[in-house]
Amino acid sequence: MSVTEPTVYIVDDDAPFLAATSRLLRASGFAVRTFESASDFLTQRAEDAPGCVLADMRMPGMNGLELQSALAQSSNPLPILFLTGHGDIPSSVRAMRDGAEDFLEKRAPKADLLDAVNRALARDSREREARNRQRDLRARFGTLTAREFEVLGHVVRGRLNKQIAGDLGIHERTVKLHRTAITTKLGVQSVAELTRLTDEAGLLTEPKPTFP
Amino acid sequence: MSWVTVIWSMVASACLTLAVIYFLVWWSNRAGWANLFFAVTAASTAAFTFCELRQMRAGTADELLAAMRWTHVALLGVLVSTSWFVTFYLGAGRRWLLWTVSGLRAFYLLVAFLIWGNVNYLEITSLRRVPFLGDSVTVFQGIQNPWMLFGYATMLLILVFVADASVTAWRRGERRKALTIGGSVEFFLLLGTVQAALIHWAGLPIPVLIAPLYLGLVVVMAAELSREVLRASRLVHELQASEAGLRESEARMSLAVDAADVGIWIRDLARNEIWASHKWREWFGFAPSEPLEFGAILQQLHPDDREGLRLAHVVAAAGADGSKYQAEYRLTLPDGSTRWIASQDRIEFDATGQPVMIRGAARDVTARKQAEQETQLLRQQIAHAGRVSMMGQLASGLAHEINQPLASILRNAEAAELFLQHPSPDLDEIRAILSDIRSDDERAGHVIDRMRGLLKPQTLATGRLDVGALAGDVAALVRIDVATRQVKLQVDVPAELPHVRGDRVQIQQVLLNLILNGMDALQETRPADRRVNVTARCNDAQLVELAVCDAGHGIPADKLARIFDPFFTTKPDGMGIGLAVSRTIVEAHGGRLWAESKAGGGAVFRFTLPVAEEGAAV
Repeated sequence: MSVTEPTVYIVDDDAPFLAATSRLLRASGFAVRTFESASDFLTQRAEDAPGCVLADMRMPGMNGLELQSALAQSSNPLPILFLTGHGDIPSSVRAMRDGAEDFLEKRAPKADLLDAVNRALARDSREREARNRQRDLRARFGTLTAREFEVLGHVVRGRLNKQIAGDLGIHERTVKLHRTAITTKLGVQSVAELTRLTDEAGLLTEPKPTFP
Repeated sequence: MSWVTVIWSMVASACLTLAVIYFLVWWSNRAGWANLFFAVTAASTAAFTFCELRQMRAGTADELLAAMRWTHVALLGVLVSTSWFVTFYLGAGRRWLLWTVSGLRAFYLLVAFLIWGNVNYLEITSLRRVPFLGDSVTVFQGIQNPWMLFGYATMLLILVFVADASVTAWRRGERRKALTIGGSVEFFLLLGTVQAALIHWAGLPIPVLIAPLYLGLVVVMAAELSREVLRASRLVHELQASEAGLRESEARMSLAVDAADVGIWIRDLARNEIWASHKWREWFGFAPSEPLEFGAILQQLHPDDREGLRLAHVVAAAGADGSKYQAEYRLTLPDGSTRWIASQDRIEFDATGQPVMIRGAARDVTARKQAEQETQLLRQQIAHAGRVSMMGQLASGLAHEINQPLASILRNAEAAELFLQHPSPDLDEIRAILSDIRSDDERAGHVIDRMRGLLKPQTLATGRLDVGALAGDVAALVRIDVATRQVKLQVDVPAELPHVRGDRVQIQQVLLNLILNGMDALQETRPADRRVNVTARCNDAQLVELAVCDAGHGIPADKLARIFDPFFTTKPDGMGIGLAVSRTIVEAHGGRLWAESKAGGGAVFRFTLPVAEEGAAV
């Protein structure tokens, strides 16, 4: 997986505006790609590239809000910034509620635009990292066998090897072997670290037992 | 008992009975003086009859003279009361003559009594009894008193008086009454007098038989009076019947007017009384039997309408007989709501030209008025909504179209600034930016040109226009607005004004716009002062100047310069289009449109139009 530079994807049906905004962002040091329609953007963008989207709210064909919902359902949900020439309150409210990063007038001050773009890129990087880490964890937990997974469930609930052996009807030494395999595969040193990792991977569903 | 006694007693009692009856009749209705005088006549006749019987029964000269003296007193009663009866019954006769005969007759008797004691005789010389009706009665002879002649003269005067009264009544058309009463009084009095003259003056030895004659007179008078009594009772019956009919027809009328939803009211100006039907009272909030008073009725009206109705009554009262007027006014109901009444009233005058009666029919037109107002409101709302939405869409579209190139220009300029900060700026990029800025500027310019094109009149269809007719057409267009806003619109265009050259529809639009603006400015003004005047004059050979002048709040000095700017408005719901368009139209015609604030408040809008060349077919 190569490290790609975050890109600002600009989507607007007005070609002169598209060119002007693209120039400004490039001059400000961003990598920029422009699209004249939402569908062009959705079909032509790189599959997993980082970045953010700067889209006109009103466009012929797919409009800004439709683009937002299509993007949210994709595997690479980039943050979206909306641009509008009209103070269109109902659609801006809806856009913000659906997680739009910002909502800007087309003639908003340059600083506001650049700040918003930077914020959107930072958010993308944050969210991307979280997504990658979770995917990584789930891959690591995926290497466990069914029995190891079962044993892990008992361990993170704080049960002793003897109790686990009794519950599962196996020898206590076998339980110890499974625990060793688990810690090796997940690369952890302690039960506490194991519990934190399980929680982070979203696998810890049952409440932890409390001490009597 | 002798026949004489029987007959004379019966005569006397018959007369007394009638006297009592008619006295009682008079007592029950004191205005019927004829009844009283008849009662006196009948009573006097009874007394006279009694005295006459005494004379016939007298054995000595003294007895005879005493009876005769009282006979004359009774006779005075008969004659005077008969004269007064005739006067009152026929409603005729000369009063001075009546008083004269009454006075003379009393004087005659008084003088005779004081001097001689007897009117007819100074002395009785012989006294004897003669057979009469199987009885013997006294006859006599004596020395006559010459004063008796005065009595005959007064008797003649009475006959003249009665004849005169009868003729008057006859001429008036009451022939039967005149003939019966006048004729019988003349006949019986004359007969009695002749008999008396034969005995007392000619000295014939026959008994005095005057009482039966007078009885005849009394009977005729009684018969005549009884006709009156019968007639009165018939009248009472007829009156009762007609009252019942009147009540019936009133009930029918009430039913009809209530069913027709009409309220009737009648104002009697002479007696200052007001009558109104149930419906009317219900509408105006008066109880069915509550006395009505004009001031109280006015109080029920909406304060703004009171003066109008009061004036309508005053004006109508100054008009001609039968003059009508119509009024529409509002009633303020106790719950604060409003009822509209349309009233059609009619004024009646008496012979001297004084207004005496106002009759009115009122209808409740609340529903119609509300419908009218709602329609008017709806019409205004539709017109306004149409204007607002059209202008709103236009403005919103224009704003978007201008915003787009402006945003591009901004971003390009910002980018260029950044590029120029670079140690070795990419000049090709900057050139491309400048080219884009130029084309975006042109794009914005095109949008503005299109907007101006929308506001500018398209092509002028110019022709020769009569300013007076044109102003009249516009006044007709705003007639409904003028009425609903209670504005007085006066158009004053001199007939000799030359024609102008222009597009009829567009000039009408300008004038309409200025008049509507003027009326808008009057919303806060009292209805009486809401006035818009349209005047025109030829200010030089080439230009006609029209002026639209209102008495409203005027234009603040700081806004005077800006009111012709597009989208500038002083009205809460205004678009700021009207005056801008108007100025464009007038200037396209080669004229000028400007505004002035009047010294005494209000605004004047003036515009000029070129005079059309004589005979030019444009």
